[in-house]
Amino acid sequence: MQKISDSPVSFEIDDEQGYLIVRFAGEIDLYGTPHAREVILNCVKSDRNTVIDLSAVTYIDSSGVASLVEGYQLAKTNQLEFGLINTSEAVMNVLQLAHLDKVFSIHASLNERLQAS
Amino acid sequence: MPTLNLGMIVTMSEQKKHELKLDQHLALLARMTQEFTTSLDIEETLHNAIVQMMDYMNAEAASIFLLENDDTELVCRACAGPIKLLGLRLPADHGIIGNTVKQNQVQMVLDVSADPDFTAQVDEQTGFTTHSILCAPLTVMNKKLGAIELINKKTDDGLFVTDDQHMLTALASSAALAIHNAAMAASLVEQERIQRELELAREIQGNLLPTPKHASFPIHGYNLPMREVSGDFYDYFTLPDGRIVFNLADVSGKGMNAALLMAKTSSLFHCLGKTQTSPRKLLAMVNNEVHENSTRGMFVTMVGGIFDPASNEILLANAGHQPPLLQHADGHFEEILGESPPLGILPNIEFPETKLQLADGSLYIYTDGVTESQQNGQMLGEEGLQDMINSHRDKPAAARLEAMFDSLQRDGRLLHDDVTVLVIENSQLTPSLCLHIKSNPSELKGLRDRARKTVLAAGCSLEQAESIVLAIGEAVSNIIQHAYNAEDGDIELNINVDHQIEPAQFIIVLRDYAETIDINEIRSRALDDVRPGGLGVHFMKQLMDSLIYTVPEDGLGNRLEMRITINAKNK
Repeated sequence: MQKISDSPVSFEIDDEQGYLIVRFAGEIDLYGTPHAREVILNCVKSDRNTVIDLSAVTYIDSSGVASLVEGYQLAKTNQLEFGLINTSEAVMNVLQLAHLDKVFSIHASLNERLQAS
Repeated sequence: MPTLNLGMIVTMSEQKKHELKLDQHLALLARMTQEFTTSLDIEETLHNAIVQMMDYMNAEAASIFLLENDDTELVCRACAGPIKLLGLRLPADHGIIGNTVKQNQVQMVLDVSADPDFTAQVDEQTGFTTHSILCAPLTVMNKKLGAIELINKKTDDGLFVTDDQHMLTALASSAALAIHNAAMAASLVEQERIQRELELAREIQGNLLPTPKHASFPIHGYNLPMREVSGDFYDYFTLPDGRIVFNLADVSGKGMNAALLMAKTSSLFHCLGKTQTSPRKLLAMVNNEVHENSTRGMFVTMVGGIFDPASNEILLANAGHQPPLLQHADGHFEEILGESPPLGILPNIEFPETKLQLADGSLYIYTDGVTESQQNGQMLGEEGLQDMINSHRDKPAAARLEAMFDSLQRDGRLLHDDVTVLVIENSQLTPSLCLHIKSNPSELKGLRDRARKTVLAAGCSLEQAESIVLAIGEAVSNIIQHAYNAEDGDIELNINVDHQIEPAQFIIVLRDYAETIDINEIRSRALDDVRPGGLGVHFMKQLMDSLIYTVPEDGLGNRLEMRITINAKNK
C-alpha cells in the first residue's frame, strides 16, 4: 500500500487479467482526493482498462466521487473500460445518494466483471 | 319419541309393558342428555326439559330451583304447569325443596299435608293446591346446585311411585351436569371480558406515561406494574422556556381503584403543571383537587418538581413520598428529605420546596416497590438500591435504568409491588461540541471523528452518524474550497441537541469568517448531468432536514445551520 502524503487514504495498483486494479483504502476526502484523482487518471491515460476496488474505503465525500466520475468520463472518451468492484457499504450509500450507482458499472469482483462482459 | 298407544298397553303382558316403559325412559334420558350437552342457551334447554319431564312423568307441575346469592336462596329458573314460578326466590332452607338440597337426597312426599317440612306459602300466593311432591337434588361433584321438583301425579291416586323416583334421579344428574357446564362457560366468558377490560386499562395507563426520550434527554423513567394495572406513575414534559416539569407518584392500594386515582392525579398534574411551575403551589393545587373527591382512605405520595437544564437546578416538593436519592459526582448518596403528608388526606396544606444543584450528579426518585423487593427473604433496601445504581454507573442513564430493572427481574427477586424509578441527570451525556479548526483539508478527518463521537453519544444510530458526518464534511469542504478559496481561515463547528422540538433534533452550526457569500449562488447541480463536482450541496440537502445560510449577527463571514431529527427514519 502506498500512502498518499499524510492523508487518510492509501492505494496499490495491480495488473490482473488485462486490467489495472487500483485498490484504495481508508477515507477519501478533500485532503486525499487530488492524489487519488491523479492515480485514477494516470491509469486511464496509460491506455489501460481500469477497475477501482473500493472494499477498504470507509468514507468517501463528493470530491472523491467526482474523481471517480472524471476517470469514468475519460475512459469513455478513450473507449476504455472503467468500473468499480467490491464497493463497501459506506461507498455504495454515497453513490446512491449521488444517483451514480446506475451510471458506473459496478461488480462484486473482477471475475464477476469478466463473466458479465 | 314414539307416541304412546294406550290401546296397545292395555292388551300387553306386564313384561312387555315393563320393557316398553324402560325403552321410553331410556329414549327420554338419551334425548335430554343430548340437548343438555349441545345447547348453548341453558335457560331455554331447562325450560324444554322441564316441560318434557312434566309430561312424561305425568305430573301437574314441575320446576327447577337453583342456589344463588352465595347459596342463600333458591331461585326458580324453569317451570311448567298451571302456575308461573319463574324468578321466584325462596330461602335456601325453604320447605321440602330446601330439605332435598340440604340432605342431597330425593324426597318423595305422598301427602304434603302430613309432612312437617311442607310450607304452604307458595300455594297461598298462587292459589294452587299441592298434594304430592317428588323432588330430586341437582349435584355435580359434591357441589349442590339446586333441585328439580315435580308436583301432583296426574293419576287417580295422585301419587308418585318408586319408578318415578329413579327416573327423576337419572334426569337430575344430566341436568345438573348441563347447568354446571353452562355456569363454567359463563364464568369463562366473564373472565375473558374482565381480562380484556384490564388489558385496555393497562394500555390507557401506559399511554399516560411519557414516551421515552432519546439517550441525551436529562430525564428517564421506568415502570414495571405487578398486576395488569398500576398505582405508580411518573411524568415529564418540557415547557416552552426549556425547563422540564417532572413527577413520580405512588397511589395507595392496588388494583383498579388505585389505577383510576392514578389516572386522575397524573392528568391533574400534567394539565396544571403546564401553567403552575412552582412545585409548592402545584402540589397544593393537586392535593386540594384529589382531596375534594377522593375515595375515603385513598391517598397519593408524590415527588413533583421542575428541572432547569440551563442552570442545572432542581426545585422539588415531596408529598409523603420516600426521600429521593441524590448521587453526587464523587459517588456519595444524599437523601433529600421532605415532611409533608401525602396528597388527598388534608386540604389546604403546604408542600415546602427544596432547591438542589444537580451539578454532575444524578437524582433518583423511586417507589418502595424497588427497595421492598426481596431476594432470599432479604429486602433490597436503600443500600441495596445504591449498590445496584453503582454497579451500572458507567452506563448512560436510560441504559442504566434498563439494566437495573433487568437485574430486579432476573435475580430471582420477589417483587410485591409496582416498581418505578425516575432518574434526572444532566452531565456529559448532553452532546455539545464546539470545535475550532483551520481552513485546511488536513483537518477534516479529525473533525469527522469528533463529530461522529458526539452524535453517537447522543444516542443516534451508526447509520445516521455517518450521514451527519458526511454532511458536515461536505459543508466544511465547501467553506475551505469556496468561501476561503483554499486560503487560510478559521472555521467553527457547534453541535447541540434541541430538546424544545419533539422529537429532538441535532443543531449543527458552521461558522466562517470569509467574505460573505451570495446565498443564491449556493445550489446543487442537476443529477442527470454526470460531471465531477457540484455534489456537496446536494448531499447536504439530501442528508439534513433543513439548511439555513445566514449572515452572523456581527456581520462577519457566513453561518450555516443544519438540522436533523435524531434517528429519523429514511434519513
